[in-house]
Amino acid sequence: MHSDIVIDCQHLSHSYGKRQIYNDLSFSVPRGRILGLLGKNGTGKTTIINILSGYLAPSAGRCTIFGTDVRHMPHHMRRQIGLLIEGHVQYQFMNIEQIEHFYAPFFPGQWRRDAYYELMRKLRVAPRQRISRMSCGQRSQVALGLILAQNPELLVLDDFSLGLDPGYRRLFVDYLREYARAEQRTVFLTSHIIQDMERLIDDCIIMDYGRILVQQPVGVLLEQVRQYTCSVPEGYSPTPHQQLYHPTVSHGRLELTSPIPHQQVAQLLRADGINPDELQSHPLNLEDAFIGLTGKY
Amino acid sequence: MKRFSQIYLSLLIVFMILWALPWAYNFLFARPNKTPFVLYSSLLHDFLLVEYSEANGHVRRDRHNNRYTEAQTDSLLPTFYMRLLVSNGRWPDTLMGQPVAPHDVQRTNFNFRAMAADINAPRVPLYFLQEAMPRRAELEMPSDVMRFTAQGVEFVDMTSNTIDPDKSLRYTKALTAKGFAFPPRYVAGNPSTHKDYDNGLLLLDARQQLFHLKQLRGRPYVQPVAVPDSVRLRHLFVTEFRDRQLLGLLTDSCHRLFALRADSYELVRTGVDGYDPEQHNMTIFGNMFDWTVRIAQPQTERYMALDATTLQLLDTLSIATPRSHAMPGMSFRSSTNPRIRPRWQ
Amino acid sequence: MLKSIALKEWLKTRWFLLLINVIMLGSSGFLMLRMHRAMDIKGADHIWQVMLLRDAIIVDSLATLPMLLGVVLALVQLMPEMHRKCLKLTLHLPCSRLKTTSAMLFYGVITLTISFALCLGLMHVALRPVIAPEMVRHVLLTTLPWFVAGLTAYLLAAWICIEPTWKRRVLNLALTAMLLRVFFLSDTPESYNGFLPALTAMGLLTCSLVWLSVLRFIDGHQD
Repeated sequence: MHSDIVIDCQHLSHSYGKRQIYNDLSFSVPRGRILGLLGKNGTGKTTIINILSGYLAPSAGRCTIFGTDVRHMPHHMRRQIGLLIEGHVQYQFMNIEQIEHFYAPFFPGQWRRDAYYELMRKLRVAPRQRISRMSCGQRSQVALGLILAQNPELLVLDDFSLGLDPGYRRLFVDYLREYARAEQRTVFLTSHIIQDMERLIDDCIIMDYGRILVQQPVGVLLEQVRQYTCSVPEGYSPTPHQQLYHPTVSHGRLELTSPIPHQQVAQLLRADGINPDELQSHPLNLEDAFIGLTGKY
Repeated sequence: MKRFSQIYLSLLIVFMILWALPWAYNFLFARPNKTPFVLYSSLLHDFLLVEYSEANGHVRRDRHNNRYTEAQTDSLLPTFYMRLLVSNGRWPDTLMGQPVAPHDVQRTNFNFRAMAADINAPRVPLYFLQEAMPRRAELEMPSDVMRFTAQGVEFVDMTSNTIDPDKSLRYTKALTAKGFAFPPRYVAGNPSTHKDYDNGLLLLDARQQLFHLKQLRGRPYVQPVAVPDSVRLRHLFVTEFRDRQLLGLLTDSCHRLFALRADSYELVRTGVDGYDPEQHNMTIFGNMFDWTVRIAQPQTERYMALDATTLQLLDTLSIATPRSHAMPGMSFRSSTNPRIRPRWQ
Repeated sequence: MLKSIALKEWLKTRWFLLLINVIMLGSSGFLMLRMHRAMDIKGADHIWQVMLLRDAIIVDSLATLPMLLGVVLALVQLMPEMHRKCLKLTLHLPCSRLKTTSAMLFYGVITLTISFALCLGLMHVALRPVIAPEMVRHVLLTTLPWFVAGLTAYLLAAWICIEPTWKRRVLNLALTAMLLRVFFLSDTPESYNGFLPALTAMGLLTCSLVWLSVLRFIDGHQD
């Protein structure tokens, strides 16, 4: 429980039928970090969340949380894992009081009733209003409120921004960030809306189909990854290179994304027969870096 | 738990396949058994078989394969086809050398059925004791039912659902006075208003003694019946045939069939044996000359002809009825026992 | 913890439980009333004779009702769990998943049993004054397999409902149909008496099949 690595997944492989989602995937999440798993639709983000939360047996590999295999985790350890399932789903047939009454006895000594009701006070819902009759944003607040009340060591949040309008998304992100920083909690989350992640996460894993493209702190990533542009002769076709992501030519201009320094990019282009004197580099925000690394399609 | 669940699921699947597969096979492929209609003809001194097949139509023959026409068959079984013969003007003046009027035939003809499924069916232990000598001509159902206890008999009035203490005491005393040991092991009767007369109930008491109980003008009539020590009665059937000769038919633990004479209470061993009422269905077509007893057993139908006067065996016939195409398997139902339980058939 | 599970199940099913009791007591009450009226009109002895001589048990029309209510209770209780995979929340609770599943099923079995017992009680109370105790016993023993079928149908419907793949659901449904058929093979009153203890054990043990569906859900099986 006191190891510095909270989540450790090694050599994960999984396929649905004949379709392989990924092969030999490894990553780990240190204690106290907020890690965002970014990837386009179908890259297997939810599959990883399902494996991590014990709801999917991977074809190969092993995941541990707090040093324990998630498939054989003693049930009391689930007290320390807050799970937000896709769509902020909670028991729709309960109201905010009932759901608090329901969960509280499962977390003796750690349940923070006040934190829950503090958040609920900000919702304009009647205490007896059923969750099924709440707006999407209100439901997500209830789900978050329950996780904050549970006060777990690790929060696993699947596509936390799904269905939330911008205002609620911002509110959710701010709440979560404040809470995680103040309580030194570890958070593992996925989202398909990248701009919110920049405000929230410390580290990111960017997934492409079947593999991890990048795993590093967001600060380092934004420091390194640049968009490069320069003029190219007519009929130029870029040579593929591992460090030059998604080079495209449009109206005589080459555009690519790369994590390597300006000088190295210039050398690679020169070797490809391009005059790199006009090479320009531009800093990127997280969303642009993500698109640059994973491509638009 | 997972292992147990998997084993249990497998067991259920195997169990259901053993049940459903033979059922489906038999449903699709089994053909009905066409057994002939068989009656003994005292005129022929042989059994007459009426068979039907789509190829040959009706074939009427005896065991020596002598064929008969429809009209010949009517005449060979005159008591069975009496109405037809009378309406065609073919009724003979004498039968077997004695003059016989149609109403004599009507009076002495009977048919009797004892189905194993009825005998094995669960029953509510309440019995009707009808008035055997009603003031008016017709029989009526009583207004109460009888219940036997270890101490005696109780009459429960149906309208008030209360016990009639006087009548209960009267009958208890009457039975006890004749040596009846409560509670009875077997109670048989035919409560109905659709019969010519009422023979009351036949009872086997706690000591296996046979008793006859009737209600005559509101009073109990109890008659112990002497049964040889070698006979341990098992099943009792009260008969109310029109000729009033018999009180009932009885079987014993050796599966022999007995008849109880109404006037003398004489227990007559008939020529029928190997009849287990819990396993076999029995039908009897009787007339003034003979009885044709049919005992349907799995895979065989046995026919026995008895002399109507002495009840001794005249002749026997066995017809095999193999179940064609039947696939063995598990079944919960049985044609001879309505109680549901798994059986291998 | 069990109290919390009971609270959750109660919140899902309370209105339906009320409906079950209204339907069970209403339909058995109606049959009792009809019998009392028939006794008034045709005389008690006529009803006694019909029951004793023609094997009528007057409540035959109730036969499939407990089974239907068992199926619907399972749906009412478990559809909200399967809606957007809410069952993940239940199975993520920090207590044994087997215990959680058992508690949910136990709740269903107990509430159905109470409802069926109320129905049997009503019939007993309504019949006892007008027919002999042997006949009351006869009627109630005849109805028992129907109630056991109700409990079994509940457990088997839960098994189908939690099963995560449609292909397997269809197979489960076929086996369920066959198992439930076993309860309705005879119209003869009391014909299940001897077999009923074994049939009850068979029916209640089908709760173990639900655990297989839960394990398949945990393993992430999907079509």
